[in-house]
Amino acid sequence: MHGPEVTWYVVLAAMLFVIGALGVLVRRSPLIILLSVEIMLNGSNLALIAFARHVGREDGQIFAIAVMAIAASEVVVGLGLIVAMGRRNVELDVDKLRTLRG
Amino acid sequence: MANFVVWCVWVGAAFCCIASALAVVTFSNPFFSALALIGNLASLAVLYLLLGGAFVAAAQVLVYGGAVMVMFLFVIAYLGDKTDQAPWASGPSWQAVATVLAAGAILTEIIVAVALESGGGLSHSPRIAGSFGSPAAIGRLFLTDHLIAFEVTSIVLLVAAVGGVVLGSHARSLQGDARS
Amino acid sequence: MRLIDAASWVCLLAPLAACALIALAGERLGRRACGLISTATTMVAFAAAVAVFARMLAEPSAARAHATSAWTWLQAGRYHFGLTLLSDQLSVMMMLIVTGVGSLIVAYSVGYMDGEDEERRYFAYMSLFVFSMLLLVQAGNLLLLLAGWGMVGLSSYLLIGFYQRRPEAVAAAKKAFVMNAFGDATMALALFLLIEHTGALDFASVFARAPRHGTVAALIALGLLGGAVAKSAQIPLHTWLPDAMEGPTPVSALIHAATMVTAGVYLIVRTHPLFQDAKAVEDLAAGLGAATLLMAGLIALVQVDIKRVIAYSTMSQIGYMFVGAGIGAYPSAMFHLMTHAFFKALLFLAAGIVIHALGGEQDIRRMGGLGRVLPATRALFLVGSLSLVGVPPFAGFFSKDSIIAATLTRGAFGYCLFAVCLAGAFLTGLYSFRLYLLVFGGPQSDFAREHLHRPEGRLEAPPSMVWTVAVLALGATVAGFLQFARVWHPLTTWLAPVAAPLADASNRQEAVASVASVALGLAGIGVASVLYGARRRRAPRPLALLEHRFYWDELYAAVFYRPAELAALGLARFVEAPLIAGSIGELSRGLRLGAGELGRAQNGLVRSYVLAIASGVALLAVVFLSTR
Repeated sequence: MHGPEVTWYVVLAAMLFVIGALGVLVRRSPLIILLSVEIMLNGSNLALIAFARHVGREDGQIFAIAVMAIAASEVVVGLGLIVAMGRRNVELDVDKLRTLRG
Repeated sequence: MANFVVWCVWVGAAFCCIASALAVVTFSNPFFSALALIGNLASLAVLYLLLGGAFVAAAQVLVYGGAVMVMFLFVIAYLGDKTDQAPWASGPSWQAVATVLAAGAILTEIIVAVALESGGGLSHSPRIAGSFGSPAAIGRLFLTDHLIAFEVTSIVLLVAAVGGVVLGSHARSLQGDARS
Repeated sequence: MRLIDAASWVCLLAPLAACALIALAGERLGRRACGLISTATTMVAFAAAVAVFARMLAEPSAARAHATSAWTWLQAGRYHFGLTLLSDQLSVMMMLIVTGVGSLIVAYSVGYMDGEDEERRYFAYMSLFVFSMLLLVQAGNLLLLLAGWGMVGLSSYLLIGFYQRRPEAVAAAKKAFVMNAFGDATMALALFLLIEHTGALDFASVFARAPRHGTVAALIALGLLGGAVAKSAQIPLHTWLPDAMEGPTPVSALIHAATMVTAGVYLIVRTHPLFQDAKAVEDLAAGLGAATLLMAGLIALVQVDIKRVIAYSTMSQIGYMFVGAGIGAYPSAMFHLMTHAFFKALLFLAAGIVIHALGGEQDIRRMGGLGRVLPATRALFLVGSLSLVGVPPFAGFFSKDSIIAATLTRGAFGYCLFAVCLAGAFLTGLYSFRLYLLVFGGPQSDFAREHLHRPEGRLEAPPSMVWTVAVLALGATVAGFLQFARVWHPLTTWLAPVAAPLADASNRQEAVASVASVALGLAGIGVASVLYGARRRRAPRPLALLEHRFYWDELYAAVFYRPAELAALGLARFVEAPLIAGSIGELSRGLRLGAGELGRAQNGLVRSYVLAIASGVALLAVVFLSTR
């Protein structure tokens, strides 16, 4: 295989995942959080495809395509929620949305 | 020679990937964050190509970049003023420390697991045929081994579409409700 | 089934049927009807006992023991205990006494308890008692005897505490029961030893296989003696008997004079082979009897409650019986048991007539001169007292003297017993005639004048009361003629196969004993007449020792009651309140605090939840990596 070994790709994927997790944890706007979730999903996609290359079969790529489809559906629902919140003039701040506190 | 070229491409793509990811997480204007994400997707597509996933790279650009990100940008534009400020998290500082620690821990563990513990198991990848990752191969797998995944995914997409419609229409009929 | 067996069962079960009937019928039966049912069934039991006796007379002496078994009562491994009744010479004698005197006393109760609030309960309990006592004497094995023993204790408890609302009665009932429970425990231990060493509890096997002359034999005898001492109110387990006088007078007569308290004597006579194997315990029994008879006689001198005087007298007379049983004069002890049943019941019931006439008053300092108003009662009481003191020709003379004579056959120890018995005879004369003279003699007291009420007509009390007392007086007079020293001794002959006497006094010893005891008894009567006769105000002041009944109650309170009380209070304060009650409060408080703290984790922020998940993932990754 030319170029870096699969290990490098997986480490890169891990870094992407962690960056996405950080974004989810430290941002207050639901939009940015949703984008960070996308980054996390992309990170795991990269890992899947890297492992598919390592194993020599395309099953990992199939998985990655499925993940993409699911991510798309999730973004639809998430954006729908955000639009609904915007329509009702709810402030787009996760820290203020605490009705489910125990 | 080919190895060197691939390495250069890899470094460039990886750099763009990380940089755009950091940009997504750190920009305060969500519009710019969304654009950064598009950049992230593009660099990832390059990486997929390097890994022999031609179809996946194309799907990434078309579906993710062409559909999902467009939707994002549309919503951001629609919300307009309301999304001007996307501030950082408030809250007790111990949570920030804990967050960084947890994230760092996960990263470290993955690196340790993959790079060190795998015992060299990831070092030699097999040679692959030219048709690895081609649409034909993907299509064959989808319609034979992973048919159920294929069908279920399409159902999920349908459900998501219905959900989107419901969310959209709900807002219209309940216009003027008090804030929750 | 043969007649004897059938009659034995009828004798046993008739009173039980009465108890069950009265208990189950409740208010549907009239009060008088309950009394009549109880009396009738006891008389039926007496008739059955007479039938058994009559049949037994026709049989040869060696073949008079009949055991009849209903079913196997208890079977554990290789141990078999049957529901067996034994009708032999000894048990039929006890059956006759119990049912005979019992039916008279129950008949008396019909008049005495007339108008009481809870008559029905009384008669149910009385029938229960008669059944229990019959179970005890008819038992064919020691286990059934123990069952009867316990039930007799229960009936005693129920009847002493009959006046439930009087705290003194309740306390007395508890005291009696607890002391008897102690005796039951020692008896049970003895039975355990017997089972271990002989493998059975029926009398034949036990007597054949019991260990001889060793520690085990002594322990067994000691355990049985413990039970006997508790039941018969001898030193040191005697303090319950005077308090037991809180019960109604017929109860005192039946249970605490005629039958239950004599169960200890019966036990010793029945299991005498076991006692003969442990000479030391036999001597101990005699010694305790002697000590009790002296102590009780002394205490009786200063009692002011008419029933308590008679109670201490009972204690003293049973001391005589223990002396007799302890030295091996079993027929003499049983003879005295029989005559004692007559004259003691007579005394109690006559006292009952006096109490009834005075509306419940029992303090003899308030009585006086009742002889003029209740002449028949006075005569009956005199008969009882003379019999008690042992003046011929009354019954007590014959029976008591046979015991006293037997003590002369036992060497040095016997001479000590002899001296004590004679001292007891003097005291008996003194206290019994003190009682008689204070109650019936002298001028009529003011109290008596005001409160005396007797029914119109010739009878001084309801007919059921007077006639039964009269029958008992007859018994107290003539029963003694059953046996007279070596000249005429059908009772000894009758009991010989079961309880042959070890001590047989010679004619000379009999004469010495009779003369001495009668002389001392009359001397006691004389002193009493001087002190309490016409010039009664010259009675000396009693010693504090006697007034406090030799401080036994105080001793037991200090040794047993106070430590238990302190322990209970200490535990309640230091263990129960903080640890047990407090722990529950602390537990709930801790839970509430914990829940409050945990609840702070649910602050509604998605971010915190995601952080928790991420931290969990990190931890799990460490775990997985390190345990690969």
